Amino acid sequence: MKEKKTVRYFDIESNNKDENNKDQNVKVFKIKSTSKILKAQRYKQNKNIHTKKKHSKNSQQFPGKAPINPEKLEEHKRGEGLGKGVRHPLHALKLKKREHKFKYAEEQATRADILLTEDQGFLEVEEDNRTTGITQKVIADNVDITAATKIFELNLAFGPYQAKYSCNGRHLLLGSKKGHLAAFDWVTKKLHFEINVMESIHDMSWLHVETMVAAAQKEWLYIYDNTGIELHCIKKMDKILRMEFLPYHFLLAAVNEFGFMSWLDISIGEIVGHYNNHMGRTSVMTQNPYNATLCLGNSKGVVSLWSPTVKKPLAKILCHKTPLTAIAVDSRGMYMATSGVDRSLKIWDIRNLDGPLQHYKLRSAPLNLEFSQKDMLAVGLGETVEIYSNCCTQTVEGPYLRHRMAKTINNFKFCPYEDVLGIGTSNGFTSIIVPGSGEPNFDALESNPFQTKTQRKEAEVKALLEKIPAELITLNPSDVMEVDVPSMKDKIEARKNLLYLKPKKVDLTPRHKKKGKTNIARKKIIKETVRKEYINQSMEAKKILAEPEKQYVPKQSFGVLDRFVPKPKPKK
Amino acid sequence: MEDNEEFDYVASEHDRLVSAITKLDKTQHIREPTRNEPTIQSTEFNLIKRSSKLKLDNVVKVLEDTAHHVKIGKKLKKSQDADKILSKPLEKPQAARIKRSTGYEETKKKVGRWDPVVARNRTVDYVSFPIKHFPSKLQPTNDFLSKLKLKSPLEKELEEIDPPPESKEVVEEEQLYPMSYEEMLEHRQSTAKLRAQQSYKAAKEKRQSKIKSKKYHRILKKERLKQQLKEFEELQIKNPEEALKKLEELEKSRALERHTLRHKNTGKWAKSKLVRAKYDKEVRQQLAEQLSVSRSLTHKAQDTQSTDDEADDTENIPDVTLAQDPLNPWMMKSSDKSNVDEEFNFGYKKYLNDKMFKQAEIDSDSDQENLEQTHNHDIESPLGLLPESEKRLYNIDNPKDSKKEEKPDKKKNNNVKIVTPKLVAQNSDQTKKLPIKSKKKSKKIIATTSWVVEELGATSKSIITPIEEGKASEDISNVFDRYENKVVGQVEHKLKELRRQISKIGKQSNQQNKEVTEDNAEHDNLEYLKLKKQNPKPQIDEELIETHNGIGLKEIEPSLLNIITPTENPSQQNMNMDIDPTRFIEVKPKFLNTAVSRRENYIDDLDDDDEQVVPKVDIEEVFEEDDVVDSFRQEKEDEINQDIPKGVDLALPGWGSWGGKGVKATKRKRNRFIGKLPPKTSRRDENKGDIIINEFKNPKLAAHKVSNLPFPFTSVKDYEASIRTPIGNTFIPETAHKKLIRPSVITKAGAVIEPMDEDELLVKKNRTFNNNSILKLFAKK
Repeated sequence: MKEKKTVRYFDIESNNKDENNKDQNVKVFKIKSTSKILKAQRYKQNKNIHTKKKHSKNSQQFPGKAPINPEKLEEHKRGEGLGKGVRHPLHALKLKKREHKFKYAEEQATRADILLTEDQGFLEVEEDNRTTGITQKVIADNVDITAATKIFELNLAFGPYQAKYSCNGRHLLLGSKKGHLAAFDWVTKKLHFEINVMESIHDMSWLHVETMVAAAQKEWLYIYDNTGIELHCIKKMDKILRMEFLPYHFLLAAVNEFGFMSWLDISIGEIVGHYNNHMGRTSVMTQNPYNATLCLGNSKGVVSLWSPTVKKPLAKILCHKTPLTAIAVDSRGMYMATSGVDRSLKIWDIRNLDGPLQHYKLRSAPLNLEFSQKDMLAVGLGETVEIYSNCCTQTVEGPYLRHRMAKTINNFKFCPYEDVLGIGTSNGFTSIIVPGSGEPNFDALESNPFQTKTQRKEAEVKALLEKIPAELITLNPSDVMEVDVPSMKDKIEARKNLLYLKPKKVDLTPRHKKKGKTNIARKKIIKETVRKEYINQSMEAKKILAEPEKQYVPKQSFGVLDRFVPKPKPKK
Repeated sequence: MEDNEEFDYVASEHDRLVSAITKLDKTQHIREPTRNEPTIQSTEFNLIKRSSKLKLDNVVKVLEDTAHHVKIGKKLKKSQDADKILSKPLEKPQAARIKRSTGYEETKKKVGRWDPVVARNRTVDYVSFPIKHFPSKLQPTNDFLSKLKLKSPLEKELEEIDPPPESKEVVEEEQLYPMSYEEMLEHRQSTAKLRAQQSYKAAKEKRQSKIKSKKYHRILKKERLKQQLKEFEELQIKNPEEALKKLEELEKSRALERHTLRHKNTGKWAKSKLVRAKYDKEVRQQLAEQLSVSRSLTHKAQDTQSTDDEADDTENIPDVTLAQDPLNPWMMKSSDKSNVDEEFNFGYKKYLNDKMFKQAEIDSDSDQENLEQTHNHDIESPLGLLPESEKRLYNIDNPKDSKKEEKPDKKKNNNVKIVTPKLVAQNSDQTKKLPIKSKKKSKKIIATTSWVVEELGATSKSIITPIEEGKASEDISNVFDRYENKVVGQVEHKLKELRRQISKIGKQSNQQNKEVTEDNAEHDNLEYLKLKKQNPKPQIDEELIETHNGIGLKEIEPSLLNIITPTENPSQQNMNMDIDPTRFIEVKPKFLNTAVSRRENYIDDLDDDDEQVVPKVDIEEVFEEDDVVDSFRQEKEDEINQDIPKGVDLALPGWGSWGGKGVKATKRKRNRFIGKLPPKTSRRDENKGDIIINEFKNPKLAAHKVSNLPFPFTSVKDYEASIRTPIGNTFIPETAHKKLIRPSVITKAGAVIEPMDEDELLVKKNRTFNNNSILKLFAKK
């Protein structure tokens, strides 16, 4: 136990005394002690003893909640809080209390991090070995039995197959060019259904639950249930080349042969957006999970971003000078990988629309690209699949894994919440293990691989209640959280024109400044100064070199007529 | 006399006035004489109005002195005695007003007791009703008593796990007044002293801050800088860690400067000056000064590899030298900085750096050679250089460089090449492996630059020979002699050829220029080379040479060359500017050893070679469509032009001038009648290169957005901050979600909610509520 001792001021200040003595020229006030003061002092002295109980909490073994790591707290922060703009004392107090709750929410979220118990997988090799040297066989020999079952191959007869995993990564959908459509639980290998639609299947997709499947067939879009029964034939959407399902908006987005983009709201069965993109026929499409825009790559090397409500592209990026072969956007919407026929692979900052961040030149043109949940990039090169880890933020030297097959790759997808890459090939399906590719911790309320039927039903209702309207698909998904400043300005202006109304004073600066401008300005300044310096230098150098030249011009004398010889103008 | 008269006159007037005033007074001033003599005739002068009042005293006196009468008299007297008379009752409205106001005060006081209760209920997160909780049924005594246990089993168990701290009751004599009287006095004195000091200091500083003299400030600044420098040097000796910290601070200040737009000539002042700059030289100078200040402030601290002469160049700016001092050991330590530099070290920048590096080494080599000539048998000094020169070799080997090599650069390679044989010779003494390697490399170099060798042919010979003489192993030297002879032969042959060509052309090419200068003064040549190297754009120096005759270069006096050298500084600074402008233009592609599909190539030696594989055929060229880029840029331009608001033409055709087909409005008219709209703010994609971002108002989205600030908010920022955290349990933890959505009034279903009674006033939480601003707010209401 530590006993508190009264600290006298001179105990602390004894060190500082000599410092104080330095300034002798300062006037010191003296207080005369009167009898009254002395008396009061004495009185107080007599009465000033009182006892106090003291506890010290430190000695307890479990003193309470663990302290929060400020760095981790920073991850859950939601930005700057309220300023002092609210004057009304009651409202100010209420907002302050709300602010405390926000802070509490952040802290709770940080504390909940402790529940993320699983770790990411990885490959460890000796120093002189490479991870590329590790084949699937080696992996299968070294992992446990359950994990080893995740390496498997299906030999199927109906031509090139496409594969897609459901949102929770439990179910697999296979569709072939020759009409073979099958869905099964790939972990238990339990088949849901297997049919032949007797038409070519161009693309297919899971809908919000694993009981429904959409297949883009030769003419129209069909929807099947998990027993293979045709539920709908949607003739409004025809000749589809590529499809993407936007789970939070309940939209099935598709692009067709004639360049028509369409978004079908599957919850109400209405088409919310349908127009031609005027980009030509292209089957290179993917969605940006961050803001649910569609990224469409065309034969001119341009990637364009689309939303259902706007009939023009939200943005266009010239990625390659050659036709694009594949696009992939990572799950957080930070990076976009594009590849062109020019055998190059570029990484772009899709959130800020900037780049390229990385530019790789490969030995052959990649035909497929796919990001895993942990930002590993799979690159399909004909018969080989190469996986690059951490290739966005830094320039990698080589692939992380390489898998060769005896058949051509048609498409591949990373399985969510699993370290598995499923490859649809020309004659079947191959599943390989890529350690560290999947997110190890799943949020069961968000997407649960071990979902029961009731849970699924509940989740479906909940998801429907939380459906995001299609109009909110913009480049910046937090647009809704911002005030519509231009129209507010208009309203304020209109109010000002009214008589006898005191105009409100409103500070219009938005919370989030449009960043990047200053940076660009700086870049510009730098470029400009550099250019100016070059010019200055060259000017000076020219001057120096020009001077001797003058001396060397032999002056021809014309005698008296010299005065008519044109004089060179002195340069400024 | 006159005065007197007037005075009298005035006096009479005054009397009249007084009488007039007294007339106004109606009361009787003649009183009843107190004494009067009995007379028969009453004079008229004694007549006074008598009050009609009956004097009761007299009446009573008249009565007989019977007991009864005395009683009555006394009674009467008594009644007469009461001298206090009740005031007249107030008028009704006044009385009512008074009553109201007092009533208000009373009720205000009474109701005011509830203020804290109300205020608290308004401010707390939630209020739950009914307030009073009565237990629904009475507990039996046994049940009640059973709860009065010392500790529950759970508590006991918990205690076993985590024993509570033994709460020692420390009886302490804590003094309410921790100081005795004398101490207090002393303390007061000391604090007074401190305060006085503070105020003096503040006054002094205030006075000093008001000084406007520029000279004074300049001197002050200089002094401060000096002081800082001195302190830093001291610190460097005493406490290196502190010094490092200080350095970092300097770095930080640099970063800040870079971050801001200060000294970038973007301010109001600069803009106003810019207008005049065209005509006024002084202004131009001022602007340039500003820029140079910014440059000096943003100049990155130099890396370890900076040479001495660079350091000399920067000496004129004191704080920069501090950061750049190559002798500064801490600069060596900060390796990460150089790493960063390395990271951005690609493209043209790298090329330049390489150039610089080589130049520096050539200098050092030439020095070395001199040394060697004096001490022929000194082997050790070249040995020290070995790793460096090897590195240099690698640099030359670098394929990236070889791509970009141009004539001047090749010449430098050549210079380097001179050194290599020497190196080989030295290596041969040491090991067997190394020479083979270096030999290989040297051969490589020859292969790349063989045709330029001639330029330094003569000198190279002279350089090599002394070194080789110094070597012990003869056979190897013989080999090199042979080799050298071969080289020299080649060189001479080529030289002849070249000369022939030159004579044919009749022009003096760049190379010959250089030759001439080299022949004449090697020193000059080196200086000259330096200039070129530091020019970041190669075109400039090419032009440089083309502009004048070759012979002319001889005539460049050393003084002129001195003029050249200062121009190098800015470019050097550029190179070390941590943001490299070239970086924004293009990212250097990285060649990856990917698998090749079997159709294309069967050779799989992927895992064996470490080097980057550069494809021989540029497939880009096959597929590339040139117009793709151009058309995209055109599209962007169109998009930008669309957004620019166009002026409204208000001119009336034919008004004041001829109108009709083919008649153009005069310039004056155009300027006057076309209303210019304010320029639009910059686009998001303005400087982003080949990216178009369409910014249009989306009415469908706007329907979802807020366009009016709700009541207590006055700024958009605050409002947006208040809605920054979602409240759904999808996004935040359940507990926080519950907290955020809890209603402000919670009522118990089925319970009767009675109005509050006065007991609530006595509740402690209500009594202690003391948020004055809110209390005031409610009191006002």
